[in-house]
Amino acid sequence: MDIIVLVKQVPNTTDVKLDEKTGSLIREGLESILNPDDRHALEAAVQLKEATKGHVTVVSMGPPQAIEVLTEAIGMGVDQGILLSDTAFAGADTWATSSTLGKAIQQIGKFDLIICGRQAIDGDTAQIGPQVADYLHVPQVTYVAEIDNIDEKSVIVKRRLEDGYEMVESELPALLTVISEINKPRYPDVGKMIAACHEDASIKTWNAADIGVTVHEVGLAGSLTHVIKTYVPKFKRQGEIIEGDTKAVVRELIQKLGRSEGSTACKAVAAACRLEAS
Amino acid sequence: MIRANAEELIRKSIARFVDREIIPRAQEIDNKKEFPIEILKQIAEMGVFGIRYPKEKGGAGGNTTLYCIICEELARGLMSVAAITAMQCLMGTNFLFHFGTDQMRQTYFYPAMRGEKFSCFCLTEPEAGSDLGAVSTSAKKTEDGYMVNGLKTWVTNGPIADFFTVLCQTNPAKKFRGLNFFFIPRDTPGVSVSQPFETLGTVTTKMSEVAFSNVHIPEDYRLGQEGQGLDNLMTILAEIRSMTAALAIGLQRAALADSIRYAQEREAFGRPIGKYQLIQAKVANMATQLEASRLMTYRATRMIDQGIPCMTEASMAKYFATEAACTAADECTRIFGAYGYSMEYNAQRYYRDSRFLLNGGGTHEILQTNIARWAGL
Repeated sequence: MDIIVLVKQVPNTTDVKLDEKTGSLIREGLESILNPDDRHALEAAVQLKEATKGHVTVVSMGPPQAIEVLTEAIGMGVDQGILLSDTAFAGADTWATSSTLGKAIQQIGKFDLIICGRQAIDGDTAQIGPQVADYLHVPQVTYVAEIDNIDEKSVIVKRRLEDGYEMVESELPALLTVISEINKPRYPDVGKMIAACHEDASIKTWNAADIGVTVHEVGLAGSLTHVIKTYVPKFKRQGEIIEGDTKAVVRELIQKLGRSEGSTACKAVAAACRLEAS
Repeated sequence: MIRANAEELIRKSIARFVDREIIPRAQEIDNKKEFPIEILKQIAEMGVFGIRYPKEKGGAGGNTTLYCIICEELARGLMSVAAITAMQCLMGTNFLFHFGTDQMRQTYFYPAMRGEKFSCFCLTEPEAGSDLGAVSTSAKKTEDGYMVNGLKTWVTNGPIADFFTVLCQTNPAKKFRGLNFFFIPRDTPGVSVSQPFETLGTVTTKMSEVAFSNVHIPEDYRLGQEGQGLDNLMTILAEIRSMTAALAIGLQRAALADSIRYAQEREAFGRPIGKYQLIQAKVANMATQLEASRLMTYRATRMIDQGIPCMTEASMAKYFATEAACTAADECTRIFGAYGYSMEYNAQRYYRDSRFLLNGGGTHEILQTNIARWAGL
């Protein structure tokens, strides 16, 4: 079974800060990591490889330092890595990213299964997996919590819904996006990572020409959407915890509700409380 | 050709393991005083025990720098785990790997790399530590091998080890030239192990005495050429000292991080204690000594990796980094005030564990004597 896993290197934070002038993500001082959901995708692929004697290829699009997450994937047991890195890929929206990944997958050739993490912690779009499936015209199953059964022709998975689960069968080739409850990822093997850092390592770097695209089809130029403005939303309401003796806390709370700006309901509650207290 | 930096990647990967699997459980493991077998199994699964050995011979294909980076990160989490790992990677398995037969490697070395068997190094005796010429455990030649008699003490991993690398005297008249290392499986008749010692720190690292009474072993259990024991020990001594320095760096980092966090949270006279200059001075000194320790230690490891003799550099690194670790642990308990005296916080553990580093790889009294001699005195 030939499996392809798509991964992304992301900043190690869920509290993304933006530069107000440029609208871009402030990366200074942030460590780069393998996207958490992608780690589960890799583990799922390696488990399938071990069960079916398959072959796993990991693909990532990003700057040269994204080689780190591919090396980590090799450490987890993936057979080969492909880094899509070219200045032409920069500024891609999710569609351009998905089509670039799709092109690379077509270049790789035969595959039975593509596995992605549900979403990346930086963009939180959860669009790449479904869009890659669409680009390649293969069925997709998202939010996969368990791979129940797989053979040469089909896969049966347990898919998480808002209020439960559903079992879905799909013919192969297919694309799955997985959630963290699917497995507990292994830690990478240090020897495999060291080997992957050597010159003869099984990680290739492909540019736009290698996957047969022109610079107009990828990156910012190939994007269908353009970000006009990025900003951090301002929270109008902020919680406050009042601590101390219960009576004193309640008294302070009533005072605060009474003083609260333009909220009739709060003032009504405060008035009712005063009435009750008296 | 784009390639990842192995040192950065391995550090990051082990750090992630330490943050997720060791630090949240460190205090509990220390309180229970149990051998941390589950964590060690996980470390084995990552291939860490083979970090120094060549890939084509079952190792991970790393070097001394990578080995010390791993020791440092593990020590940041829990010194006992780091100490057991350090032993398994180096002193406990090195001579078996280089001088053991294929059969010995198959039965003991490869299982040790997988964490299925544990090793240890029997050097110190009740009357011999740094003074190796005083080693009295004897290995007398017999028709078909050797007969070993003697007592070893302060054997790290002794109570749980499956096999021992034992320094013995084969000919007292030859003194240092009579020293040889021997491989002795635990289940060999005549081997007995004492109850684990009660120790101040690294309480889950089990240490004990190991006694050898008429232990008969075959000739090929001698590890190395006859009379080459001391020379063989010297091939790894700089590495042992660098590793100990790396353990000390890990402890310094843990003590510094906890100190900074506490100094930012704890308020006195209306502001965080980190705003006071005397606390700032402590943190500044800890950070500076940490940086110096790093520079000295990894200079030595890189020299080892390049095959450059560096006993002086490694000895200085071990001496400096360990003293800095003891100071950092002490300062950490002071910054924590009364809570530094409480068993609920890590500060007390750093203080206790820092003392473990003082003796392994040479006491500081011996190291200072050597360093003074090398300096020209």
